[in-house]
Amino acid sequence: MNLAEGVQIVSFCILSLMMIGAALGVVLFENIVYSAFLLGGVFISIAGLYILLNADFVATAQVLIYVGAVNVLILFAIMLVNKREDFKPLPNRLLRQVTTGLVCFGIFALLSTMVLATPWAFSTAPAAAESSIVIIGEHLFSDFLLPFELASVLLLMAMVGAIVLARREYIPDEILPGLTRPSGLTLPERPRELLTLTSGGKGDLRNQKPASSTKQPIDTNA
Amino acid sequence: MNPGIDLQGTFIQTLRDLGLPAGAAKAIWMPLPMFLIIIGATVGVLVVVWLERKISAAVQQRIGPEFAGPLGVLQPVADGLKLVFKEDIVPAKSDPWLFTLGPILVVIPVFLSYLVVPFGQNLVITNLSVGIFLWIALSSIAPIGLLMSGYASNNKYSLLGGLRAAAQSISYEVPMALSVLAVVLMSNSLSTIDIVQQQSHYGILSWNVWRQPLGFLIFWIAALAECERLPFDLPEAEEELVAGYQTEYAGMKFGLFYIGSYVNLVLSSLLVAVLYLGGWETPVPIEFVGGLLGLNETSPWLQVIDAALGITMTVLKAYFLVFLAILLRWTLPRVRIDQLLNLGWKFLLPVSLVNLLLTAALKLAFPFAFGG
Amino acid sequence: MIKFLKQVGDYAKEAVQSARYIGQGLSVTFDHMRRRPVTVQYPYEKLIPSERFRGRIHFEFDKCISCEVCVRVCPINLPVVDWEFDKATKKKKLNHYSIDFGVCIFCGNCVEYCPTNCLSMTEEYELSTYDRHMLNYDSVALGRLPYKVMDDPMVTPLRELGYLPKGITEPHDLPAGSRRAGARPEEILEK
Repeated sequence: MNLAEGVQIVSFCILSLMMIGAALGVVLFENIVYSAFLLGGVFISIAGLYILLNADFVATAQVLIYVGAVNVLILFAIMLVNKREDFKPLPNRLLRQVTTGLVCFGIFALLSTMVLATPWAFSTAPAAAESSIVIIGEHLFSDFLLPFELASVLLLMAMVGAIVLARREYIPDEILPGLTRPSGLTLPERPRELLTLTSGGKGDLRNQKPASSTKQPIDTNA
Repeated sequence: MNPGIDLQGTFIQTLRDLGLPAGAAKAIWMPLPMFLIIIGATVGVLVVVWLERKISAAVQQRIGPEFAGPLGVLQPVADGLKLVFKEDIVPAKSDPWLFTLGPILVVIPVFLSYLVVPFGQNLVITNLSVGIFLWIALSSIAPIGLLMSGYASNNKYSLLGGLRAAAQSISYEVPMALSVLAVVLMSNSLSTIDIVQQQSHYGILSWNVWRQPLGFLIFWIAALAECERLPFDLPEAEEELVAGYQTEYAGMKFGLFYIGSYVNLVLSSLLVAVLYLGGWETPVPIEFVGGLLGLNETSPWLQVIDAALGITMTVLKAYFLVFLAILLRWTLPRVRIDQLLNLGWKFLLPVSLVNLLLTAALKLAFPFAFGG
Repeated sequence: MIKFLKQVGDYAKEAVQSARYIGQGLSVTFDHMRRRPVTVQYPYEKLIPSERFRGRIHFEFDKCISCEVCVRVCPINLPVVDWEFDKATKKKKLNHYSIDFGVCIFCGNCVEYCPTNCLSMTEEYELSTYDRHMLNYDSVALGRLPYKVMDDPMVTPLRELGYLPKGITEPHDLPAGSRRAGARPEEILEK
């Protein structure tokens, strides 16, 4: 065993330990923020394992997408929601935990038997380290074209949905008798036009106006 | 294209001649360029801090640091020493682990990104095939560190600053990556070495800035936003957020943020130089000059001069961009958060997409000029 | 379609225009870089205050007739005039006089209205103390002669803008014998 192999084995052990430890932390920590940060650790360790497998592009993409985008989004969601909730102790807590553990262990056992039982075909071809990007690109645009395009369509749909959620431009001009309260489907938020009209701390002033005039935009916050 | 000097090969060969095995020789070699780059980056930070203070002073018709060393060059050293010796305060109700981890997570990716910055044909730590993509990926880790320090400080200004920093960093990464993609499209490679070599044939005329003017501007704006330089420094806007995510930090933890931001500025400038200003290439190709003077370009002393000139050119270009950033700092007012996001998503993103499409079309139409 | 193209064109025009404005701003800041610093290295160099400078107020105890005009014209009735009636001379006798410079706004009304000119403005502006009560000057402190920038051997006095020749804004390295723009006060008196 020469120096390079030794370094590889040691770094593999360190990365695996890091990954398993961080993954356990994600599951077991009470504080959800710790879980989110440790999830980033899991992703980074996986990227390290990819590097050990000579898949540098995949490793970099892992860091960019999972750590840089997914994990940051999770953190954003956690920090923007900021809802501190005291969980009530559930009845039969021990039973539930044991069941969860059993199910997880079952899945783990299933997967490990699959891994051990599958006759893996070891590729003897040298790893294409230099031109891996070219090969990945060729695959994406030839035999994996359909999944690739489907994924982009899915992303487009998600984006359109996000835009629809973010832009609520429908503002009724008159007070309709049944619409004084926001219904369950609308979010309790002031419509956009009102915000621009009454920006600069004049919200209180406007609330003092008599609400008798019929032509008045609905203030969903009122 | 001459191969340039190969320090690594020579060093390893020397050690092997002394009787060491090849692996050990390489292991001895490997930390050397890393240490060199880390020291270089730190010295670069000191120079940039001094430049920032001096140029800011000149722009405002002041003198700036004057008494610490000649022309005040020792002022950043004094600042750094002060930060090292300051008390390391961890606020009582903060989260001590995340509070410590945050600045570290901000600084490490920035220093790691120096892996791919080339100063010459062989003067780079590793010529990775993912090259510039590694930098994009690494720079996306920094927001996690910012969010972490913002959250751990247990301070509303810090949290807001951290959220703003992360939002800004994410929004401007997209146009930046797209403008890098246009450059990569022309050079057919992600490797920074290949990107520079593709711009090396006709001196200043073949630099990417002429073929990618839009991409250059977008990249520079996005780089300023990523570094939280002044027109986009709202994560630490002192009028609104005290100091953003740095509010609760003191001593060396604050120093890490400080170093990180300036190293990041130098790094961005270096990468602009590499991507758009021809990297280590001189405005007039050195082979051309050598040919005019009738010199053999493989002669050793010319190689040494070439390497030294390459480092000087890269650093000069980078420092020119740093100078531009400092000048911009005193020219432009700070944007609001909505203006910032509008600029990022509604202006830079579509323009960079158009730029990418245009580059692809031009590459198909004129393969000789835009990389076949 | 044409409307959309026009919108795109307008937007592009605005973008180009704002880029031009940024360029103009950059040229302004760049131009400032070649100008000489206006810095006055304060403890070593000091500007000579102008003749009309309203610094610490000087008070001459013997001239004061305790008329309290200064108190009446003061926006906040600041000067404290402690006098008693001397039955023998049938005149007011001043015991103490004090002004608190922590509160004074240096408007100069008292100096303006003082009937005996016992109050005057000086060019002294270095009033900082460790305790704000030390700013409450009594008649002795008010009677001290003001510190003069020109008399301090540790300090290089620099001319203020009003004392500089026309068109020069830089007090360092003036040629010897250069005189201020316009007539000097004594020349105005001679006329």
